[in-house]
Amino acid sequence: MMSLFKTGTGRSFIDIAIIAAGFMVLLPILGINRSTDFIIFCIYVLGFNILYGFMGRLSFGHMLYLGTGAYAITLFSEYISQNPLLAILAGICAGALIGVIIGPVIVRTSGAAFALINLAFNQVGYFLVLVAFSKYTGGEDGMSVHFSKMGFLDFGQKPVMFGFTLLCLLLTYYLLKKFTSSPYGILIKSIKENETRVKFLGYNTFNYKWITFIISTSVAAFAGALSILNYGYVTPSFIDPSRAVEVIFAALIGGSGSLVGSIIGGVLYMAMSNYLASYISRWEMFLGIALLICVFRFRSGIWGFVADKLKIRAAA
Amino acid sequence: MINTIAYGLTIGGILYIISIGLSLTFGTMKIVNFAHGLIYAIGAYLLITLLPIARNNFILGAVLAVLAVVPISYLIERFIVRRLYGVSIDYAIIATYAVVLIGVDLIKWIWGASPIPLSDPVGIDVAFLGITLPLYRVIIIIMAIVIFIGLSIFFKKTMVGKIVTAALEDKDAVRSLGINVDKYFAYIFVMGSCLAALGGVLYAPITSVHPYMGSMVLLLSFAVVLVGGLCNIKGTFVSAFALGMVMSVTGRLWGPAAETMVFVVMGIVLIFKPGEV
Repeated sequence: MMSLFKTGTGRSFIDIAIIAAGFMVLLPILGINRSTDFIIFCIYVLGFNILYGFMGRLSFGHMLYLGTGAYAITLFSEYISQNPLLAILAGICAGALIGVIIGPVIVRTSGAAFALINLAFNQVGYFLVLVAFSKYTGGEDGMSVHFSKMGFLDFGQKPVMFGFTLLCLLLTYYLLKKFTSSPYGILIKSIKENETRVKFLGYNTFNYKWITFIISTSVAAFAGALSILNYGYVTPSFIDPSRAVEVIFAALIGGSGSLVGSIIGGVLYMAMSNYLASYISRWEMFLGIALLICVFRFRSGIWGFVADKLKIRAAA
Repeated sequence: MINTIAYGLTIGGILYIISIGLSLTFGTMKIVNFAHGLIYAIGAYLLITLLPIARNNFILGAVLAVLAVVPISYLIERFIVRRLYGVSIDYAIIATYAVVLIGVDLIKWIWGASPIPLSDPVGIDVAFLGITLPLYRVIIIIMAIVIFIGLSIFFKKTMVGKIVTAALEDKDAVRSLGINVDKYFAYIFVMGSCLAALGGVLYAPITSVHPYMGSMVLLLSFAVVLVGGLCNIKGTFVSAFALGMVMSVTGRLWGPAAETMVFVVMGIVLIFKPGEV
């Protein structure tokens, strides 16, 4: 009986309960609009962290994948169907598709080239949205998006939206937890440590890297689609490459290589950018100094620090 | 048509001057230096401040601005970059990006966020093969070629250049000869930063000076370095001018696509480049 609770699945249900409870506690403090924002950002951080924390590939242009989801859901509801669930599905598919298409080019690289080629693709995507296809995307002004009601699922109502995004976060967490504690997850962590040795063991690392990349882009696109569903409005800021640092900072401060850390980091970053930015006029400088402290003194992030103190197994 | 070529050569020259520092820093220290774009912007801003002091003598102002970058880049090297040797390359990217965030905010604090225009310091046009061209652009192209030849001689003939070239091949072997490699790498870092500032100083009169001017140029330089091959002085030279031509030809056909086309070319080159990048 005891062994049942020691397996990964048993633990992840406790985690999910704690995360859900945590957001329920945050709900009255933050208000419902902000809480929904926080949850969506956490999904985005989870997607980014699969690539960065687990596989060790730092993407400096992850806004592209968020933006792909955002614009896919917009265009889907504009031209095909206003069914919100189908539109979200279209957003996720678009994210997966872009991962399938540009993945083979991107995952061949590693280290600096990986970061920069993502950034370059993000720049191209930003240009496509802002200038080349501005007729369809609304260009700099963006465009508003409408979704139809689906019975009790009326996403115009804030509590419904909050509940739905929270469910989405928990589902994403559960699936990624399953994914990272599977043998496959262990393999991508091995790629992070030493790719050559993994190759020596006979694995074709290219395919593993590609699939992980597709998962990461899909989750990011999912977050993008959800934020459009929440705001009902899309602007090029959803694909702006200069915002790439936000998710890196969130992953780093929470603890890269840990799913719980991603959520803590996401909440902390959003809290800082929402509240501190209005008190500190030199917000960018503050962010820069905080990043430097993270890199030099605090590399395992907050979750890594807490887990170390409490002697919890930080892996997961 | 000739005008487009001349424009491409100008951009290529500027890109070469900026990206050579980036390429050297990457080759020597294995660090992707995002702060390079910041130094470029600082060079341009220092020029604006120093021009009145230099009695509007552009050459004197430019020299002073480039020299003023030396202590700034030394501080960045000493306190940020030197601590990043041997750690994961991701941390180097994040740390130098943090330096950019701090630096851009400082620029906004000191000089303000609004763009500052600068006029062409030469102001003379030269007639050449039936077209007129600002003399200033010709000077930029000539300077890029002079710097290329100068750097080639520097790495072949001088002691510092030889040590750095050897350390690029095998750092530990050079260190075992009793040479303090990190000291020479610091020289290279400062030299690369000075070239970035020179690029900023030279380009400032053509575009406007604003706090975020470094980010786009940095991206373009990264494209130049990736296409030309990391720490390949000749490759950087060729790819800078080639991508400069790509920019100017695209810009002539469809203005807003000029910079994006560079990244498309970079993607294509990376696809067909053999082996791991």
